[in-house]
Amino acid sequence: MKKSAFWLLSLLLVMSVFLAACSGGGEKANTEKEPKDDGKASGEVKEGGKVTFGYTQPFKGVLSYAYYEGEDDANALQFMHEGLLAVNDELISEPNLAEYELSDDNTKLTFKLKQGVKWHDGEELTAEDMEFAWYLIADPTYEGARFANVAMIKGAQEYKDGKADKIEGIKVVDDYTIEVTVTEPSVNLLENIWIYPEPKHYYGDISSKELPDADQVRKAPIGVGPFKVKNIVPGEMIEFERFDDYWQGPAKLDGVVYKIIDGSLAQGLVQNGEIDVIEAPKDQWEAIKALDNVNPVEADAMSYSYIAFDWGHYDTKKGVVVSDNKKFQNKSLRHAMAHAIDRQAFIDGFANGLGKPLNTPFPSVSWAKIDDSEINPYEYDPEKAKKLLDEAGYVDKDGDGFREDPEGKPFTINFDAMAGAETSEARAQFILQSWQEVGLNAKLNGGSLKDFNLFYDTIEADDPSVETFMGAWGLANDPDPAGIWLSTDKWNMWRWYSEESDELIKKGITFPEDASKDVTEHRQEVYNEWQKLVNEELPIIFFEQRVDPWAINKRVGGVKVTPFGTDEFHKWHIVE
Amino acid sequence: MLQYTIRRLIGMIPIIFLISVVVFTLAKLMPGDALSGKIDPLNSDPEYIEEMREKMGLNDPIPMQYVRWMSGVVQGDFGDSFVHKRPVMELIGDRLPNTIILGISALLITYLLAFLMGRYSGRFAYSIGDYLISAFNYLALAIPSFVAALVAIYVFAINLGWVPATGSIGSGVEAGTLEYYLSKAKHTVLPALVLGAMATAAYTQFLRNDMIESSRKDYVRTARAKGTKESAIYNKHILRNSIIPIVTLLGFDIANLFGGAIITETIFTYPGIGYLFVESVNSRDYSVMMAIAMMLTILTLIGNLIADLLYGLVDPRIRLS
Repeated sequence: MKKSAFWLLSLLLVMSVFLAACSGGGEKANTEKEPKDDGKASGEVKEGGKVTFGYTQPFKGVLSYAYYEGEDDANALQFMHEGLLAVNDELISEPNLAEYELSDDNTKLTFKLKQGVKWHDGEELTAEDMEFAWYLIADPTYEGARFANVAMIKGAQEYKDGKADKIEGIKVVDDYTIEVTVTEPSVNLLENIWIYPEPKHYYGDISSKELPDADQVRKAPIGVGPFKVKNIVPGEMIEFERFDDYWQGPAKLDGVVYKIIDGSLAQGLVQNGEIDVIEAPKDQWEAIKALDNVNPVEADAMSYSYIAFDWGHYDTKKGVVVSDNKKFQNKSLRHAMAHAIDRQAFIDGFANGLGKPLNTPFPSVSWAKIDDSEINPYEYDPEKAKKLLDEAGYVDKDGDGFREDPEGKPFTINFDAMAGAETSEARAQFILQSWQEVGLNAKLNGGSLKDFNLFYDTIEADDPSVETFMGAWGLANDPDPAGIWLSTDKWNMWRWYSEESDELIKKGITFPEDASKDVTEHRQEVYNEWQKLVNEELPIIFFEQRVDPWAINKRVGGVKVTPFGTDEFHKWHIVE
Repeated sequence: MLQYTIRRLIGMIPIIFLISVVVFTLAKLMPGDALSGKIDPLNSDPEYIEEMREKMGLNDPIPMQYVRWMSGVVQGDFGDSFVHKRPVMELIGDRLPNTIILGISALLITYLLAFLMGRYSGRFAYSIGDYLISAFNYLALAIPSFVAALVAIYVFAINLGWVPATGSIGSGVEAGTLEYYLSKAKHTVLPALVLGAMATAAYTQFLRNDMIESSRKDYVRTARAKGTKESAIYNKHILRNSIIPIVTLLGFDIANLFGGAIITETIFTYPGIGYLFVESVNSRDYSVMMAIAMMLTILTLIGNLIADLLYGLVDPRIRLS
């Protein structure tokens, strides 16, 4: 079924961009610099006009940052609301609606809100709105997924558990000033703490549990962004109109229409102008790129795919991974398997060139990415792979064309990948053949690809048949690898245990011992060391970093494309 | 007849119960749940997922989950959608009007086309026109609806630009105005045509075969013998008799009407029940999925009943007891 294929493909995309959008990355970056826009839009700027922003999954209509879940709703929220901070081009948080100040011991964060920022109903944004948002999320009845973003506030956990009726660490000083005390200093506090205010005066007494279904969120949501909601047609379309009291001055466009379309129609709708701006489906990119009325923009994304080796299992009782699978303990074997795959050919063949091979878990847009000259690039070299395998004792002893393990026993490799895209099967075969060509007997686990749900169910359950698998991660702007890479992380799917790696990851979020040293520089050093370690150890084969293709109609100018989507909505305009 | 109806209605209860068990079990047997899609290190964490699974009762044994769900359903409460964060009944209520508009338009198109084609084929059986109509019907039956939908969109919406390609309403129109209804009609016409025109085969052949059969009957011979005009024989005598079984098919169409067209609605981004159903299966939104499945089950059963009752009404030879 063609449909489910699109769905799964998009789900992958959603997966990879989703968290980025949630953690604040999808919001505005108000740098002083010239926006890095499409560059090609030229001609007279015309006042007014309407732009249609397309997306290929129906939205749920939970239009509040504290409660929404998918990129489908984030796409709508980005036009209507903003956070106290925004992420700049270097992926570092900087002031947006508020200035901030950290105390010397890094435990107290003070936000000073800009005066005169208005909600869409005309009320002014105050510090209480920010306090209110934190209280909503820490509420014991809150059912969203954002608690991790307020958990560092002193007293938030107690409030959630019902042990306190106030969050101790929050103090509203005056209408524009709010102080937060955190439980412990952290270098990425600004990236992690929740920064989206909620309109307290507007929500009134609605409880945190009922808010996601309240009309104030579903039918007439408000924010402080450049566009306000005019009309919502559930699952299909949201119409926005210009908000004249926007704090950075009114937007150039009269309005924006957020429209859901079926992915298979993207090319046609872009061509006939029904959709002006859309992240194009990758399989149609070749055709969309060539359209006369389109400015094609390719943006490096904050996501990467990998092929993991299965190292062992997760010990649920102790909460730690155990690397007890002997199969892939030999480093030469892992290196050989990496050298055996022509990643560039894979990207050109299956993704219209939308991707780049990568060799550490940081995509090149991340500031923490190590210089390529310092790490092993694992270039495609089947001869080297064969040599490495020979040296490690993996040789073909019984003459069947496949290598045996050093003890002479048959050596087979199970490979798992997700079904969904039209090319999924071919992609998997490409990898299998690459390994077979260097003499490794690789086959699809169970003879077929797995559906998204089954794939993760099988891997999370540490099914013994799983040996290698291809997955992908989307990342937030902060490079901290915790959450996926620590030996205590449940999402350390490959179950790789390394004390050295744990130590470096933990060190990466500490402040430098020498207080005069720049924090970013200190973290860069630590992460360089960590990247060298994982690059050399190769617990997973780092496969490719993604490139997101954006189709922007030539009549629209000022669209800034970032690793997390589009940006600077108030500057979008129509070009004559 | 009343007695018959009541008996049939009571007979439905065990069927509905059995179907609910099957639907529920199959749904739960699918790998993954609504939370599997949330594997994402910074947006959520394993603790949150665990906590939610516990809260939603997904860790309980399946029979227990079934009893909990069923006791809600009996009281008319289908629960909340996890994905949409709102009561299932509201969600379905939102989508139902779209689906019904689309369903009725498609049905009208089907009936109209099938009537015209069937009448022609029946009257001029085994002529070139008849074969052409059969060819069209079987072709339409064989073409998958997503292919038909895509071709129709490319031709009529994108190349010719006659109608909008997707959605159920245009932007910038106010509810209640004439413009609003026109926009609604414009958005509905293409999906309705694709749905309606592709589904004529059964009705056309039904009508055709019945007409051919009737034309050999004694009363037709009598009419001919009396010198009645050929067109009057067909239009008055045969057609009226042959149309009866078609009318009874209406009963079976009721479930289709509310069930929506999964593929067509999805491709046209026409937010109806079919679209919602696919979405909820994909995201393992159990409560929505099962509510729609149960709704369709009950409507199908009622549709069958109505069809049987209609038979009895239009054909006095059939006695319901």
